[in-house]
Amino acid sequence: MSLWLFVLRRIGRGVATIWFAVTVTFLMLRLLPGDPALAIASTNMTPEIRAELLNQYGLDQSLPVQYVKYLGELLQGNLGMSFSQNIPVGDALMQQLPWTLLLVGVALVVTVAIGIPLGVVAASRAGGLLDRVVQVVAVTGQSLFVPSIGILLLYVFGLQLGWFPIGGAYTAGTYGGEWYLSVLSHLVLPCLSLVLVQLGAYVLTVRSTLMESLGEDYIVLAKANGLPYRRVLWKHALRNALLPTTTLIGMQICLYVVGGVILIETVYAYPGIGRGIYDAVTRLDFPVLQGAFLLLAGVVVVVNMITDIVYGLLDPRVKVGSS
Amino acid sequence: MTTTVQMPQAQPEETPPKASSGTWRRFRKEPLGMIALVVLAVLVFAAVAAPWLADYPTGYGDRVLEGPSGAHWFGTDSLGLDVFAEVVWGARQSLLVAAAASLIAIVFGTLLAVVGAYFKRVDAVVGVIVDLTLSLPVLPLMILVAALVGPSTVTIIFVIAAFSWPEVTRVVRSQALSVVRMPYVDAARLMTSSPAWIIRRHVVPAVMPLILVSVVLTASRAVLSAAGLAFLGLGDPNTWSWGRILYEAQQAGAMSTAWWLPLFPSLAIFLLVLAATMLSTAYNDARNPRRNR
Repeated sequence: MSLWLFVLRRIGRGVATIWFAVTVTFLMLRLLPGDPALAIASTNMTPEIRAELLNQYGLDQSLPVQYVKYLGELLQGNLGMSFSQNIPVGDALMQQLPWTLLLVGVALVVTVAIGIPLGVVAASRAGGLLDRVVQVVAVTGQSLFVPSIGILLLYVFGLQLGWFPIGGAYTAGTYGGEWYLSVLSHLVLPCLSLVLVQLGAYVLTVRSTLMESLGEDYIVLAKANGLPYRRVLWKHALRNALLPTTTLIGMQICLYVVGGVILIETVYAYPGIGRGIYDAVTRLDFPVLQGAFLLLAGVVVVVNMITDIVYGLLDPRVKVGSS
Repeated sequence: MTTTVQMPQAQPEETPPKASSGTWRRFRKEPLGMIALVVLAVLVFAAVAAPWLADYPTGYGDRVLEGPSGAHWFGTDSLGLDVFAEVVWGARQSLLVAAAASLIAIVFGTLLAVVGAYFKRVDAVVGVIVDLTLSLPVLPLMILVAALVGPSTVTIIFVIAAFSWPEVTRVVRSQALSVVRMPYVDAARLMTSSPAWIIRRHVVPAVMPLILVSVVLTASRAVLSAAGLAFLGLGDPNTWSWGRILYEAQQAGAMSTAWWLPLFPSLAIFLLVLAATMLSTAYNDARNPRRNR
């Protein structure tokens, strides 16, 4: 019972966050300087289409009425028309979303798979040479500007060495297994760039929380019981250090992963949402920018929600705490 | 008193001079912290002295896309402009945006945090807004606003400030909440009925070290955000910034042939952010020597 309550509460928070994002977007479009009509309907359109669009969005009505209409349109999945491509924004974004999810997903998995063991090793040899090297690498990585590292990798491994393709997401004209291989090889450099930038945060968080939990009584007890150090480290101490790490994944996604993927897709001409945003900025395509933000916000909220719920199912304390 | 050299606001008057001079003494022994301070000083110098270091890059030059040489230390771009001049003038713009945006974010974020910590009702609202804002992706939001309002230096400063304060509030708030529960704050409540006085006299000094670290980190994050916006074409089109050098190189398709174009602005961003991170770590270590050792 309490578990369901926890899940329900978490879903409620997710819905509230999405509502907040929608409302902020609505208020920005209406209240910021700049003609809201211009933001929805371009002046390049014929007067009839423009008038129809303005009517559709109810831009001649009062703010609360507009707000309700806006929510209604969004609930039907209507994000407006892209005025540079002349197709619904939703369709354009749905073509791009899988590429972005692939890039972010692979980068995230690789980062966690490398970051956690590195953090554990650093913590278990705190103060040693390896620990210092890991720390320097982590801090350096965190200070990189995503396009900078992207361009560097592209220059060295793409242009000079020619090991990997320098742009796009797949080789046109390939089929079957060959196509999958081309997707993989196009994924390596942008993915590596994201991993290098993200890694530091994970390593440092795991390291510091692990060092904290290594000093606690139950660890001393486990050691005193004669358990092998390795087992104490990886099973007993790491388990508790993973809670801040899960929280970190959520925050990282919001602050850096989404931003990083927009920038890196721009560098590599990767056909995801980030590249779409870059093109939309160039053409001042406001419906696309608005749709991209709402979609990314939605994805982030849902991913965080799922992470939290899965964690809640695994961690006994969350169940107790919510009852 | 020496702390004022590194950071002007470093010393709240209430701090006993002994403690802070101890911080400075320990800080001087941190080689990384001192190096970071020197790097930051050099960048600030370049920003301030830009008019004397190089002419403002504008118009066209006759030598297009030329590698670094004695005449052009950092080479030239696709319009034949001197990249060294662009980087130096870019430092001016980047540091201005970072300083202004982080100042606004810190003042606003701290104010909300300490007032919220003191008045429970405000805190509930502030907490919810901070939570919601921090669970949304920031860069697309900044892009949307910057595109709507139209890119200019003022827009960029306010956009970055508007989405940076929640992080400041989150960090400061947790500390402030534990401070207002302290017995000496209760004692102060018996002495005065003015919350403003208690906040100024007790809560703000207690969170001051956190604020100092926050200033440095927020500013370095602001540099990254500003560079990101500029790289996407949302920088001030009338001023050179590090992000704009990269953007122009990308637009001209010169990124892959002229390695010096992305290299030098990238190095500048990297050095600034790295130095800021190391400075805040060294300051934390110096203030609390037991930590992390």
